[in-house]
Amino acid sequence: MLDAGLCNYVLVSYGHNGRSSDSFLRMMADMGGDDQVFGHFGAASCYALAARRAMHTFRTGPETWKHIAVGQRKWANLNPRAMFQRQPMSLDDYYNSRMTVEPFRLFDNCLISDGGRAYIVTSAERARDLRHPPVLIMGTGQHNPASDLQTADFMTGSTGAKKAAERAFAVAGIGLGDIDACEIYDCFTYTVEITLQDYGFFGPGEGEEWFKGGTIEPGGRMPVNTSGGLLSEAYFMGLTPLTEAVMQLMGRCGERQLGPQTNTRTPQIILCSDNGGILQTHACHILRRA
Amino acid sequence: MSYDKPLPVKNPDTAAFWEGCRQHELRFEQCGQCGYIRWPPAMLCPRCHSRQAERIVSGGRGTVFTYVVYRETPHPAFRGDLPYVVALVELEEGPRLLTNIVGCLPEQVRCDMPVVVAWEDVAEEVSLPKFRPAF
Amino acid sequence: MGTKDKYAIVGVGYTPQGSVRGRTTLSFHLEACANAIEDAGLTGKDIDGLICYRHFPAATGEPDVTPYLVAQYLGLDPAHLSQDAN
Repeated sequence: MLDAGLCNYVLVSYGHNGRSSDSFLRMMADMGGDDQVFGHFGAASCYALAARRAMHTFRTGPETWKHIAVGQRKWANLNPRAMFQRQPMSLDDYYNSRMTVEPFRLFDNCLISDGGRAYIVTSAERARDLRHPPVLIMGTGQHNPASDLQTADFMTGSTGAKKAAERAFAVAGIGLGDIDACEIYDCFTYTVEITLQDYGFFGPGEGEEWFKGGTIEPGGRMPVNTSGGLLSEAYFMGLTPLTEAVMQLMGRCGERQLGPQTNTRTPQIILCSDNGGILQTHACHILRRA
Repeated sequence: MSYDKPLPVKNPDTAAFWEGCRQHELRFEQCGQCGYIRWPPAMLCPRCHSRQAERIVSGGRGTVFTYVVYRETPHPAFRGDLPYVVALVELEEGPRLLTNIVGCLPEQVRCDMPVVVAWEDVAEEVSLPKFRPAF
Repeated sequence: MGTKDKYAIVGVGYTPQGSVRGRTTLSFHLEACANAIEDAGLTGKDIDGLICYRHFPAATGEPDVTPYLVAQYLGLDPAHLSQDAN
Protein backbone atom coordinates (compact mmCIF):
# COMPACT_ATOMS: atom_id res chain seq x y z
CA MET A 1 0.00 0.00 0.00
CA LEU A 2 2.77 2.39 0.98
CA ASP A 3 5.12 1.36 -1.80
CA ALA A 4 2.44 1.76 -4.44
CA GLY A 5 1.83 5.28 -3.17
CA LEU A 6 -1.71 4.43 -2.09
CA CYS A 7 -1.20 5.43 1.50
CA ASN A 8 0.94 7.49 3.84
CA TYR A 9 0.11 6.02 7.23
CA VAL A 10 -1.09 2.45 7.51
CA LEU A 11 -2.65 1.20 10.73
CA VAL A 12 -2.48 -2.53 11.48
CA SER A 13 -4.92 -3.85 14.06
CA TYR A 14 -5.79 -6.97 16.00
CA GLY A 15 -8.31 -7.54 18.77
CA HIS A 16 -10.12 -10.45 20.35
CA ASN A 17 -12.14 -11.32 23.43
CA GLY A 18 -11.08 -14.94 23.06
CA ARG A 19 -10.61 -15.65 26.74
CA SER A 20 -13.89 -14.34 28.08
CA SER A 21 -16.27 -14.99 25.16
CA ASP A 22 -17.56 -18.06 23.35
CA SER A 23 -15.59 -17.20 20.20
CA PHE A 24 -13.22 -20.18 20.47
CA LEU A 25 -16.05 -22.59 21.18
CA ARG A 26 -17.73 -21.35 18.04
CA MET A 27 -14.51 -21.81 16.12
CA MET A 28 -14.13 -25.37 17.43
CA ALA A 29 -17.67 -26.12 16.36
CA ASP A 30 -17.18 -24.62 12.91
CA MET A 31 -13.71 -25.72 12.00
CA GLY A 32 -12.27 -29.06 11.24
CA GLY A 33 -15.18 -30.20 9.15
CA ASP A 34 -14.93 -33.93 8.92
CA ASP A 35 -11.89 -34.04 11.21
CA GLN A 36 -14.34 -33.80 14.10
CA VAL A 37 -15.68 -37.19 13.13
CA PHE A 38 -12.40 -38.62 14.43
CA GLY A 39 -12.33 -36.47 17.55
CA HIS A 40 -9.79 -34.06 16.07
CA PHE A 41 -10.20 -30.43 17.05
CA GLY A 42 -8.19 -27.27 16.84
CA ALA A 43 -4.80 -25.96 15.85
CA ALA A 44 -2.93 -27.41 18.82
CA SER A 45 -3.62 -30.95 17.68
CA CYS A 46 -2.56 -30.12 14.14
CA TYR A 47 0.74 -28.61 15.29
CA ALA A 48 1.15 -31.63 17.56
CA LEU A 49 0.85 -33.88 14.49
CA ALA A 50 3.60 -31.87 12.80
CA ALA A 51 5.72 -31.95 15.96
CA ARG A 52 5.38 -35.72 16.29
CA ARG A 53 6.55 -36.25 12.74
CA ALA A 54 9.48 -33.95 13.47
CA MET A 55 10.32 -36.10 16.52
CA HIS A 56 10.42 -39.08 14.20
CA THR A 57 12.56 -37.30 11.62
CA PHE A 58 15.13 -35.57 13.81
CA ARG A 59 16.06 -35.22 17.45
CA THR A 60 13.45 -33.02 19.11
CA GLY A 61 10.68 -33.20 21.69
CA PRO A 62 10.05 -32.05 25.26
CA GLU A 63 13.79 -32.04 26.01
CA THR A 64 14.13 -29.23 23.49
CA TRP A 65 10.80 -27.48 24.04
CA LYS A 66 11.24 -27.15 27.81
CA HIS A 67 14.02 -24.61 27.24
CA ILE A 68 11.69 -22.52 25.09
CA ALA A 69 8.80 -22.57 27.56
CA VAL A 70 11.04 -21.82 30.55
CA GLY A 71 13.16 -19.22 28.75
CA GLN A 72 10.17 -17.23 27.57
CA ARG A 73 8.60 -17.40 31.01
CA LYS A 74 11.67 -15.70 32.45
CA TRP A 75 11.06 -12.79 30.11
CA ALA A 76 7.37 -12.71 31.03
CA ASN A 77 8.34 -12.46 34.68
CA LEU A 78 9.93 -9.08 33.80
CA ASN A 79 6.89 -7.83 31.86
CA PRO A 80 4.09 -6.15 33.83
CA ARG A 81 1.65 -6.74 30.95
CA ALA A 82 2.31 -10.47 30.80
CA MET A 83 -0.43 -12.84 31.90
CA PHE A 84 2.24 -14.98 33.56
CA GLN A 85 4.27 -12.13 35.07
CA ARG A 86 3.91 -13.43 38.62
CA GLN A 87 4.31 -17.13 37.90
CA PRO A 88 7.83 -18.45 37.42
CA MET A 89 8.29 -21.77 35.66
CA SER A 90 11.00 -24.33 36.36
CA LEU A 91 11.95 -27.24 34.14
CA ASP A 92 10.06 -29.46 36.59
CA ASP A 93 6.98 -27.25 36.31
CA TYR A 94 7.13 -27.74 32.57
CA TYR A 95 7.29 -31.53 32.88
CA ASN A 96 4.58 -31.54 35.52
CA SER A 97 2.12 -29.58 33.43
CA ARG A 98 -0.61 -31.88 32.20
CA MET A 99 -0.51 -33.62 28.85
CA THR A 100 -3.05 -32.05 26.51
CA VAL A 101 -2.55 -33.61 23.10
CA GLU A 102 0.64 -35.66 23.16
CA PRO A 103 3.38 -34.83 22.45
CA PHE A 104 2.27 -31.42 23.81
CA ARG A 105 1.89 -30.49 27.43
CA LEU A 106 -0.10 -27.52 28.67
CA PHE A 107 3.03 -25.34 28.72
CA ASP A 108 3.78 -26.08 25.08
CA ASN A 109 0.56 -24.21 24.25
CA CYS A 110 0.10 -20.48 23.85
CA LEU A 111 -2.30 -18.45 25.92
CA ILE A 112 -5.82 -17.45 25.01
CA SER A 113 -6.21 -13.77 25.71
CA ASP A 114 -8.57 -10.84 25.73
CA GLY A 115 -7.10 -7.64 24.36
CA GLY A 116 -5.81 -5.92 21.28
CA ARG A 117 -2.65 -4.61 19.69
CA ALA A 118 -1.96 -2.20 16.85
CA TYR A 119 0.93 -0.46 15.12
CA ILE A 120 1.47 2.18 12.46
CA VAL A 121 3.73 2.07 9.42
CA THR A 122 4.81 5.05 7.36
CA SER A 123 7.69 6.15 5.17
CA ALA A 124 11.12 6.64 6.69
CA GLU A 125 10.94 10.36 5.83
CA ARG A 126 7.61 10.92 7.53
CA ALA A 127 8.79 8.84 10.48
CA ARG A 128 11.56 11.33 11.29
CA ASP A 129 9.19 14.01 12.55
CA LEU A 130 7.17 11.79 14.85
CA ARG A 131 7.30 11.23 18.59
CA HIS A 132 9.44 8.11 18.91
CA PRO A 133 12.68 7.04 17.27
CA PRO A 134 11.44 5.19 14.18
CA VAL A 135 12.06 1.49 13.72
CA LEU A 136 13.08 0.84 10.13
CA ILE A 137 11.94 -2.18 8.15
CA MET A 138 15.19 -3.51 6.70
CA GLY A 139 13.64 -6.42 4.90
CA THR A 140 10.52 -8.48 4.76
CA GLY A 141 9.70 -11.76 3.06
CA GLN A 142 6.80 -14.17 2.86
CA HIS A 143 6.38 -17.71 1.77
CA ASN A 144 3.06 -19.48 1.86
CA PRO A 145 3.19 -23.22 1.20
CA ALA A 146 -0.61 -23.20 1.70
CA SER A 147 -1.12 -26.98 1.79
CA ASP A 148 -2.71 -28.46 4.88
CA LEU A 149 -1.34 -31.38 6.88
CA GLN A 150 -2.75 -33.99 4.55
CA THR A 151 -0.77 -32.76 1.57
CA ALA A 152 1.98 -30.60 3.08
CA ASP A 153 5.58 -31.45 2.38
CA PHE A 154 6.91 -29.32 5.25
CA MET A 155 6.91 -32.29 7.57
CA THR A 156 9.55 -33.88 5.43
CA GLY A 157 11.39 -30.66 4.57
CA SER A 158 11.38 -27.03 5.61
CA THR A 159 8.40 -24.81 6.40
CA GLY A 160 7.66 -21.51 4.69
CA ALA A 161 10.08 -19.91 7.16
CA LYS A 162 13.10 -20.85 5.07
CA LYS A 163 12.18 -19.07 1.85
CA ALA A 164 10.54 -16.17 3.67
CA ALA A 165 13.76 -15.54 5.59
CA GLU A 166 15.91 -15.88 2.47
CA ARG A 167 13.81 -13.15 0.85
CA ALA A 168 13.90 -10.90 3.92
CA PHE A 169 17.66 -11.26 4.36
CA ALA A 170 18.25 -10.62 0.66
CA VAL A 171 16.35 -7.33 0.89
CA ALA A 172 18.10 -6.34 4.11
CA GLY A 173 21.53 -7.29 2.78
CA ILE A 174 22.61 -8.79 6.10
CA GLY A 175 23.12 -12.25 7.60
CA LEU A 176 22.09 -14.20 10.69
CA GLY A 177 25.24 -13.00 12.46
CA ASP A 178 23.86 -9.45 12.43
CA ILE A 179 20.76 -10.38 14.43
CA ASP A 180 20.71 -9.27 18.08
CA ALA A 181 17.42 -10.85 19.16
CA CYS A 182 14.38 -12.66 17.76
CA GLU A 183 10.66 -12.20 18.26
CA ILE A 184 9.15 -15.40 16.88
CA TYR A 185 5.50 -16.36 16.44
CA ASP A 186 5.15 -19.00 19.14
CA CYS A 187 1.70 -20.54 19.04
CA PHE A 188 3.48 -23.64 20.40
CA THR A 189 7.00 -24.24 21.67
CA TYR A 190 7.70 -26.41 18.64
CA THR A 191 6.86 -23.49 16.34
CA VAL A 192 9.77 -21.52 17.81
CA GLU A 193 12.14 -24.43 17.27
CA ILE A 194 11.12 -25.14 13.69
CA THR A 195 11.15 -21.45 12.76
CA LEU A 196 14.64 -20.81 14.16
CA GLN A 197 15.81 -24.07 12.57
CA ASP A 198 14.45 -23.09 9.17
CA TYR A 199 15.99 -19.63 9.58
CA GLY A 200 19.33 -21.42 9.91
CA PHE A 201 20.29 -20.83 13.55
CA PHE A 202 20.88 -24.57 13.93
CA GLY A 203 20.46 -27.76 11.95
CA PRO A 204 17.68 -30.34 12.34
CA GLY A 205 18.13 -32.09 15.65
CA GLU A 206 20.55 -29.52 17.05
CA GLY A 207 17.86 -27.47 18.76
CA GLU A 208 18.24 -28.91 22.23
CA GLU A 209 21.94 -28.15 22.21
CA TRP A 210 21.31 -24.63 20.89
CA PHE A 211 18.57 -23.74 23.39
CA LYS A 212 20.07 -25.26 26.53
CA GLY A 213 22.03 -23.18 28.99
CA GLY A 214 19.73 -20.16 28.76
CA THR A 215 20.46 -19.10 25.17
CA ILE A 216 17.12 -17.30 24.76
CA GLU A 217 16.70 -16.07 28.35
CA PRO A 218 17.67 -12.79 30.01
CA GLY A 219 21.47 -12.82 29.91
CA GLY A 220 21.49 -15.22 26.96
CA ARG A 221 23.37 -14.86 23.72
CA MET A 222 20.24 -14.81 21.51
CA PRO A 223 17.21 -13.46 23.38
CA VAL A 224 13.93 -14.79 21.98
CA ASN A 225 10.40 -13.56 22.70
CA THR A 226 11.39 -10.96 25.24
CA SER A 227 7.82 -10.07 26.26
CA GLY A 228 7.11 -13.69 27.18
CA GLY A 229 5.55 -14.16 23.75
CA LEU A 230 2.31 -15.90 22.95
CA LEU A 231 3.26 -18.63 25.42
CA SER A 232 3.63 -16.39 28.46
CA GLU A 233 2.65 -12.78 27.65
CA ALA A 234 -0.59 -12.80 25.63
CA TYR A 235 -1.92 -13.99 22.29
CA PHE A 236 -2.27 -11.28 19.68
CA MET A 237 -1.17 -13.35 16.70
CA GLY A 238 1.84 -11.90 14.88
CA LEU A 239 1.43 -8.59 16.64
CA THR A 240 2.75 -9.91 19.96
CA PRO A 241 6.21 -10.57 18.48
CA LEU A 242 6.28 -7.65 16.05
CA THR A 243 5.27 -4.93 18.52
CA GLU A 244 7.73 -6.28 21.07
CA ALA A 245 10.54 -5.93 18.53
CA VAL A 246 9.46 -2.34 17.88
CA MET A 247 9.33 -1.46 21.57
CA GLN A 248 12.74 -3.06 22.21
CA LEU A 249 14.31 -1.12 19.34
CA MET A 250 12.68 2.09 20.60
CA GLY A 251 14.16 1.33 24.03
CA ARG A 252 10.77 1.41 25.76
CA CYS A 253 10.71 -2.01 27.47
CA GLY A 254 11.37 -1.12 31.10
CA GLU A 255 12.68 -3.96 33.22
CA ARG A 256 12.92 -6.39 30.31
CA GLN A 257 14.76 -3.94 28.02
CA LEU A 258 17.51 -5.62 26.07
CA GLY A 259 20.92 -4.15 26.84
CA PRO A 260 23.11 -3.88 29.94
CA GLN A 261 20.24 -4.22 32.41
CA THR A 262 19.30 -7.67 31.17
CA ASN A 263 22.91 -8.54 30.43
CA THR A 264 22.25 -8.81 26.71
CA ARG A 265 23.40 -6.92 23.62
CA THR A 266 21.75 -3.54 23.09
CA PRO A 267 19.68 -4.43 20.04
CA GLN A 268 20.34 -2.82 16.69
CA ILE A 269 18.56 -5.44 14.57
CA ILE A 270 15.72 -7.81 15.54
CA LEU A 271 14.31 -10.68 13.48
CA CYS A 272 10.53 -11.28 13.66
CA SER A 273 8.19 -13.95 12.38
CA ASP A 274 4.54 -14.76 12.01
CA ASN A 275 2.85 -17.80 10.61
CA GLY A 276 -0.74 -18.70 9.93
CA GLY A 277 -2.83 -21.78 9.38
CA ILE A 278 -0.92 -24.90 10.33
CA LEU A 279 2.49 -23.64 9.14
CA GLN A 280 0.72 -22.73 5.87
CA THR A 281 1.74 -19.08 5.72
CA HIS A 282 4.92 -17.41 6.94
CA ALA A 283 6.13 -13.84 7.16
CA CYS A 284 9.62 -12.78 8.21
CA HIS A 285 10.56 -9.20 9.08
CA ILE A 286 13.93 -7.69 9.90
CA LEU A 287 13.70 -4.45 11.87
CA ARG A 288 16.41 -2.06 12.96
CA ARG A 289 16.95 0.93 15.15
CA ALA A 290 17.13 4.10 13.03
CA MET B 1 -27.51 -46.37 22.36
CA SER B 2 -27.49 -43.64 19.77
CA TYR B 3 -24.22 -42.39 18.34
CA ASP B 4 -23.56 -38.96 19.81
CA LYS B 5 -20.34 -37.98 18.03
CA PRO B 6 -20.20 -35.70 15.00
CA LEU B 7 -20.99 -37.36 11.68
CA PRO B 8 -19.43 -36.46 8.32
CA VAL B 9 -21.11 -33.55 6.62
CA LYS B 10 -21.13 -34.30 2.93
CA ASN B 11 -20.70 -31.55 0.42
CA PRO B 12 -20.59 -31.90 -3.37
CA ASP B 13 -16.81 -32.41 -3.24
CA THR B 14 -16.75 -35.00 -0.47
CA ALA B 15 -20.01 -36.90 -1.08
CA ALA B 16 -18.39 -39.54 -3.29
CA PHE B 17 -15.78 -40.37 -0.64
CA TRP B 18 -18.34 -40.82 2.13
CA GLU B 19 -20.64 -42.76 -0.16
CA GLY B 20 -17.71 -45.13 -0.77
CA CYS B 21 -17.12 -45.45 2.97
CA ARG B 22 -20.70 -46.52 3.42
CA GLN B 23 -19.82 -49.49 1.19
CA HIS B 24 -16.48 -50.01 2.94
CA GLU B 25 -14.49 -48.68 0.02
CA LEU B 26 -11.85 -45.94 0.17
CA ARG B 27 -12.60 -44.16 -3.09
CA PHE B 28 -10.36 -41.52 -4.56
CA GLU B 29 -10.24 -39.55 -7.77
CA GLN B 30 -7.14 -40.10 -9.85
CA CYS B 31 -6.27 -37.35 -12.30
CA GLY B 32 -7.05 -38.42 -15.83
CA GLN B 33 -4.17 -36.38 -17.17
CA CYS B 34 -1.20 -36.61 -14.77
CA GLY B 35 -2.23 -39.54 -12.57
CA TYR B 36 -2.06 -37.65 -9.27
CA ILE B 37 -4.52 -38.95 -6.69
CA ARG B 38 -6.55 -36.00 -5.42
CA TRP B 39 -6.97 -35.72 -1.71
CA PRO B 40 -8.77 -33.86 -0.32
CA PRO B 41 -11.29 -34.30 -3.13
CA ALA B 42 -11.79 -31.32 -5.43
CA MET B 43 -13.07 -30.54 -8.88
CA LEU B 44 -9.65 -30.20 -10.43
CA CYS B 45 -6.13 -31.48 -10.06
CA PRO B 46 -3.87 -29.23 -7.96
CA ARG B 47 -0.88 -30.28 -10.06
CA CYS B 48 -2.14 -29.89 -13.65
CA HIS B 49 -5.64 -28.36 -13.28
CA SER B 50 -7.18 -31.13 -15.34
CA ARG B 51 -10.87 -31.70 -14.62
CA GLN B 52 -10.72 -35.31 -15.75
CA ALA B 53 -10.58 -38.04 -13.15
CA GLU B 54 -11.09 -41.74 -12.74
CA ARG B 55 -12.23 -43.47 -9.59
CA ILE B 56 -9.79 -45.75 -7.84
CA VAL B 57 -10.32 -47.81 -4.71
CA SER B 58 -7.51 -48.00 -2.19
CA GLY B 59 -6.41 -51.37 -0.88
CA GLY B 60 -6.73 -49.89 2.62
CA ARG B 61 -3.11 -50.44 3.61
CA GLY B 62 -0.65 -47.80 4.68
CA THR B 63 1.60 -46.53 7.42
CA VAL B 64 1.22 -44.08 10.28
CA PHE B 65 2.76 -40.86 8.98
CA THR B 66 2.27 -39.07 12.27
CA TYR B 67 -0.06 -39.28 15.27
CA VAL B 68 -1.08 -37.59 18.49
CA VAL B 69 -2.62 -38.91 21.68
CA TYR B 70 -5.55 -36.93 23.00
CA ARG B 71 -5.29 -36.80 26.79
CA GLU B 72 -8.15 -34.29 26.93
CA THR B 73 -10.79 -33.32 24.42
CA PRO B 74 -13.14 -30.38 23.99
CA HIS B 75 -16.01 -32.61 22.84
CA PRO B 76 -17.98 -34.41 25.58
CA ALA B 77 -18.84 -37.37 23.33
CA PHE B 78 -15.16 -38.28 22.99
CA ARG B 79 -14.35 -38.12 26.72
CA GLY B 80 -15.15 -41.78 27.22
CA ASP B 81 -12.53 -42.67 24.59
CA LEU B 82 -9.62 -40.87 26.28
CA PRO B 83 -6.82 -41.39 25.68
CA TYR B 84 -7.38 -41.82 21.95
CA VAL B 85 -5.13 -41.60 18.93
CA VAL B 86 -5.62 -39.31 15.95
CA ALA B 87 -3.24 -40.02 13.09
CA LEU B 88 -2.42 -39.19 9.54
CA VAL B 89 -2.20 -42.49 7.71
CA GLU B 90 -0.30 -42.49 4.46
CA LEU B 91 -1.97 -44.97 2.15
CA GLU B 92 0.06 -47.09 -0.24
CA GLU B 93 -1.66 -45.19 -3.06
CA GLY B 94 -0.37 -41.87 -1.69
CA PRO B 95 -3.11 -39.89 0.06
CA ARG B 96 -2.72 -39.08 3.75
CA LEU B 97 -5.98 -39.57 5.64
CA LEU B 98 -6.82 -38.11 9.01
CA THR B 99 -8.18 -40.97 11.09
CA ASN B 100 -8.02 -42.88 14.37
CA ILE B 101 -5.73 -45.76 15.21
CA VAL B 102 -7.69 -48.48 17.00
CA GLY B 103 -6.98 -52.02 18.12
CA CYS B 104 -3.87 -51.21 20.14
CA LEU B 105 -2.80 -49.08 23.08
CA PRO B 106 -1.81 -45.46 22.33
CA GLU B 107 1.66 -46.29 23.67
CA GLN B 108 2.09 -48.89 20.94
CA VAL B 109 1.58 -46.49 18.05
CA ARG B 110 4.70 -45.42 16.16
CA CYS B 111 5.40 -43.36 13.06
CA ASP B 112 5.81 -45.55 9.98
CA MET B 113 3.95 -48.43 11.66
CA PRO B 114 2.03 -50.51 9.06
CA VAL B 115 -1.74 -50.25 9.43
CA VAL B 116 -4.82 -51.52 7.65
CA VAL B 117 -8.30 -50.05 7.42
CA ALA B 118 -10.80 -51.11 10.11
CA TRP B 119 -14.32 -50.02 9.23
CA GLU B 120 -16.52 -48.74 11.98
CA ASP B 121 -20.24 -48.66 11.20
CA VAL B 122 -21.40 -45.82 13.39
CA ALA B 123 -24.87 -45.10 12.01
CA GLU B 124 -27.29 -46.62 9.59
CA GLU B 125 -25.66 -45.14 6.52
CA VAL B 126 -22.32 -44.01 7.88
CA SER B 127 -19.08 -45.98 8.15
CA LEU B 128 -15.80 -44.44 9.23
CA PRO B 129 -12.40 -45.60 7.96
CA LYS B 130 -10.28 -46.14 11.05
CA PHE B 131 -7.02 -48.06 11.03
CA ARG B 132 -5.50 -50.83 13.13
CA PRO B 133 -2.00 -52.26 13.27
CA ALA B 134 -1.27 -54.66 10.41
CA PHE B 135 0.50 -57.71 11.78
CA MET C 1 12.65 -5.39 -3.72
CA GLY C 2 14.49 -2.20 -3.04
CA THR C 3 12.39 -1.47 0.03
CA LYS C 4 15.29 -1.60 2.48
CA ASP C 5 14.90 1.04 5.18
CA LYS C 6 12.22 2.88 3.19
CA TYR C 7 9.48 2.30 5.74
CA ALA C 8 9.28 2.53 9.48
CA ILE C 9 7.07 1.55 12.37
CA VAL C 10 6.32 4.62 14.43
CA GLY C 11 3.74 3.75 17.05
CA VAL C 12 2.34 0.86 19.06
CA GLY C 13 -1.06 0.60 20.73
CA TYR C 14 -1.75 -1.61 23.74
CA THR C 15 -4.96 -2.37 25.62
CA PRO C 16 -5.73 -4.02 28.93
CA GLN C 17 -4.99 -7.68 28.31
CA GLY C 18 -5.29 -11.12 29.79
CA SER C 19 -8.69 -11.82 31.28
CA VAL C 20 -10.73 -8.70 30.56
CA ARG C 21 -14.40 -9.48 30.92
CA GLY C 22 -17.33 -7.61 29.43
CA ARG C 23 -15.63 -6.34 26.29
CA THR C 24 -16.31 -6.95 22.61
CA THR C 25 -13.63 -7.87 20.11
CA LEU C 26 -14.40 -4.62 18.28
CA SER C 27 -13.68 -2.62 21.44
CA PHE C 28 -10.17 -4.09 21.66
CA HIS C 29 -9.48 -3.16 18.04
CA LEU C 30 -10.67 0.39 18.62
CA GLU C 31 -8.69 0.90 21.80
CA ALA C 32 -5.49 -0.58 20.33
CA CYS C 33 -5.85 1.57 17.20
CA ALA C 34 -6.58 4.80 19.06
CA ASN C 35 -3.60 4.16 21.34
CA ALA C 36 -1.31 3.45 18.39
CA ILE C 37 -2.38 6.67 16.67
CA GLU C 38 -1.75 8.65 19.84
CA ASP C 39 1.54 6.86 20.50
CA ALA C 40 2.81 7.90 17.06
CA GLY C 41 1.75 11.48 17.63
CA LEU C 42 -0.78 11.33 14.81
CA THR C 43 -4.53 11.87 14.55
CA GLY C 44 -7.22 9.79 12.89
CA LYS C 45 -7.14 12.13 9.91
CA ASP C 46 -3.60 11.04 9.10
CA ILE C 47 -4.51 7.36 8.77
CA ASP C 48 -5.24 6.45 5.17
CA GLY C 49 -4.65 2.69 5.24
CA LEU C 50 -6.03 0.02 7.57
CA ILE C 51 -5.14 -3.67 7.76
CA CYS C 52 -7.01 -5.90 10.16
CA TYR C 53 -5.21 -9.05 11.12
CA ARG C 54 -6.61 -12.50 10.44
CA HIS C 55 -9.19 -13.29 13.06
CA PHE C 56 -11.41 -15.77 14.84
CA PRO C 57 -15.19 -16.16 14.58
CA ALA C 58 -17.22 -13.49 16.35
CA ALA C 59 -18.66 -14.32 19.75
CA THR C 60 -22.42 -14.71 20.09
CA GLY C 61 -24.16 -11.41 19.52
CA GLU C 62 -21.08 -9.63 18.16
CA PRO C 63 -20.42 -8.45 14.63
CA ASP C 64 -17.72 -9.98 12.46
CA VAL C 65 -14.87 -7.47 12.73
CA THR C 66 -14.13 -6.38 9.19
CA PRO C 67 -11.71 -3.58 8.31
CA TYR C 68 -14.59 -1.34 7.26
CA LEU C 69 -16.27 -1.87 10.61
CA VAL C 70 -13.12 -0.80 12.44
CA ALA C 71 -12.72 2.16 10.07
CA GLN C 72 -16.30 3.22 10.65
CA TYR C 73 -15.98 3.20 14.42
CA LEU C 74 -12.64 5.00 14.34
CA GLY C 75 -14.08 7.65 12.04
CA LEU C 76 -11.53 6.83 9.37
CA ASP C 77 -11.97 7.27 5.66
CA PRO C 78 -9.05 5.20 4.37
CA ALA C 79 -7.81 5.00 0.81
CA HIS C 80 -7.06 1.33 1.35
CA LEU C 81 -8.53 -1.42 3.52
CA SER C 82 -7.59 -5.07 3.76
CA GLN C 83 -7.68 -8.15 5.89
CA ASP C 84 -4.34 -9.88 6.22
CA ALA C 85 -4.05 -13.59 5.73
CA ASN C 86 -0.77 -13.64 7.54
